[in-house]
Amino acid sequence: MPWCLAALFGQAEATTQDFTLYISSGTWPINGAGGTIVDIWGYGDRAGSPTVPGPALTVYEGDNVNLTVVNNHSIDHNLVIQGVSTDLSAIPPGGSKTYSFTAPTAGTYLYSDTLNNSVNREMGLYGAFIVRPADGSNRAWTGGPAYTFERTWVVSDMDKSRWNDVAGSGGTIDTAVYKPNYFLINGLGGFDGMMDPATTLDGMVGDTALVRIVNAGQYSQSLHFHANHFEVLTSNGVRWPSPYQQLDTINVPPMTTADVLFHLNQPGHYPMHSHTSQMETANGIYLNGVATMIMIH
Amino acid sequence: MSIGNYQKLALALLLGAELLGLGTSAGATTINRTFCVSSLNKSLSGQSVAFWGFGDCGGRGGMGGSGMMGGGTSPGPVIELGAGDTLNLSLMINMMTPQEAYPYNGHTIHLHGADVPTSEDGVPETNNNAVNGDTYTWSPQTGHEGTYMYHCHVHTVKHLEMGMYGAIVVRPKDASGNLLNRITPDPATAYNYQQIYVLGTVDPAYHTASGDSTVFGDYNPQYFLISGKEGKTASSPAISLAAATSKKVALRLAGLHSTNATFAIKDSAGNLKSFTIYVQDGRALPTPKSVTSVDISPGQRFDVLTTLPATSGTWYPQVTYKRLRDNSPYATVYGKITF
Ligand SMILES: [Cu+2]
Ligand SMILES: [Cu+2]
Repeated sequence: MPWCLAALFGQAEATTQDFTLYISSGTWPINGAGGTIVDIWGYGDRAGSPTVPGPALTVYEGDNVNLTVVNNHSIDHNLVIQGVSTDLSAIPPGGSKTYSFTAPTAGTYLYSDTLNNSVNREMGLYGAFIVRPADGSNRAWTGGPAYTFERTWVVSDMDKSRWNDVAGSGGTIDTAVYKPNYFLINGLGGFDGMMDPATTLDGMVGDTALVRIVNAGQYSQSLHFHANHFEVLTSNGVRWPSPYQQLDTINVPPMTTADVLFHLNQPGHYPMHSHTSQMETANGIYLNGVATMIMIH
Repeated sequence: MSIGNYQKLALALLLGAELLGLGTSAGATTINRTFCVSSLNKSLSGQSVAFWGFGDCGGRGGMGGSGMMGGGTSPGPVIELGAGDTLNLSLMINMMTPQEAYPYNGHTIHLHGADVPTSEDGVPETNNNAVNGDTYTWSPQTGHEGTYMYHCHVHTVKHLEMGMYGAIVVRPKDASGNLLNRITPDPATAYNYQQIYVLGTVDPAYHTASGDSTVFGDYNPQYFLISGKEGKTASSPAISLAAATSKKVALRLAGLHSTNATFAIKDSAGNLKSFTIYVQDGRALPTPKSVTSVDISPGQRFDVLTTLPATSGTWYPQVTYKRLRDNSPYATVYGKITF
């Protein structure tokens, strides 16, 4: 489970935000019918506790960010924030590095390990980097659309037998072949994605949710919302013009992000799910994978 | 609705004797239809593949004719209605209905994109597992013109893939309640012809597997469809339209496939022709967009308009199905417009 490392409440001026992430190997459960235990490599906020995705890193526009990454794994790794950091060089086993930068314009960013021909990322080395407006307001950006609450959905996929099992036991992956059989939302690949309070959109009629979608996987994600259309605020960091276009299904290609605004409009329980058939399963077992609930009271 | 399903169904069937034209207020129409589900086979690239399809139970005569069996097709019948109209779409399940075993027995109809309340949403997991027949009601408003879809929402990885889907078109109406030949109320969206392209992909293994099977975790599409047909070459298109020069054609694209896809229109020399996207997912674009191609992901719809040239010729609207990982193409399926 991702945890915000930064204070969630606003501040008036730029401050320094220090983070430390530890890379190690581990295992990760896919719960419920169709579930399993997969070998992973992940970032964690404590040594020896990798998570999928890695911890969400939340900062404010203009903050001075010092992000230290400690490599406690047996091969080279790095951490690159798409569109923010530019140092692609490796952190050797046993080494560490501090990435220092100024928090960019408010929005949602993907961080991942870019080394090893997508293997390091597939194994679980990714997460969300979230920049909130400097004034601490519940807005997508300074003066931008307001929201009642926000959610981050890091979606991804794993090919257990051809990738995780092989890399986890030190083998060499044929990266030309990728047939993922697990599809994750915030690291949850089973039915538990439907019930996770950090993932579901749960609120009152009249509430507005900002949903930050980060596709850290290798497959395109086509996410369909029941109950209401949503407004598209940004895709891959590019702000859309206002009035915002309304969709009920959004395509989020690999290694891209999208911020959408969902208005909770009518009481009831509704699913949000991938509309790509196998991505609603865990190793073929329905109803799992990339799906959660919209619960409106 | 969990209470009175069968009463509602019976009422819908009685009303269904006149499928159209029950005016309720000035210009607004109530449309009552009842779908059955049937088994069918398609020959795809010479192979017989089993499908399940929706169809009007017994055709226009209500319970007569083929009666309870329906004449299901995949895609199922197009449902057209006007903004402000009410659709009461009933599903009849009976002993002739093809089904999976428990817990994936029964079927529903989900009105995809309709934003209806839970009771009308056709999702068994949220609606007391109502999978044995129901009536789904929707009244699209002005401003919601465009293309929608319906599909079964039971074990969708199986049932949708079996072909249990179809398109819904919501059109603007004039003051006296007649459907307008426009995509939206905007006169700029007027068309002379409309055609619906239902995107579909087929992994035959999904058609033979059932229940909790690992087959459903590995999608390997073998056949690629527009509106239920293969159209592997420009000379054998899946769908065609004979039109007149200089006329406007509305193409309504409905994504019921499970891959990436790109739609484009080419002339006989292979040049891309431009078209304008007016509506996506049943909502007008704030600014219409003129393009020469558009990506369509599973679940999306686009309503586009193109103007045919003044001199006669042939255009080939086409869908290239692509892999989810890297967008490399599987196959292109052709449509055709002669003018
Ligand atoms: Cu069904
Ligand atoms: Cu749908």
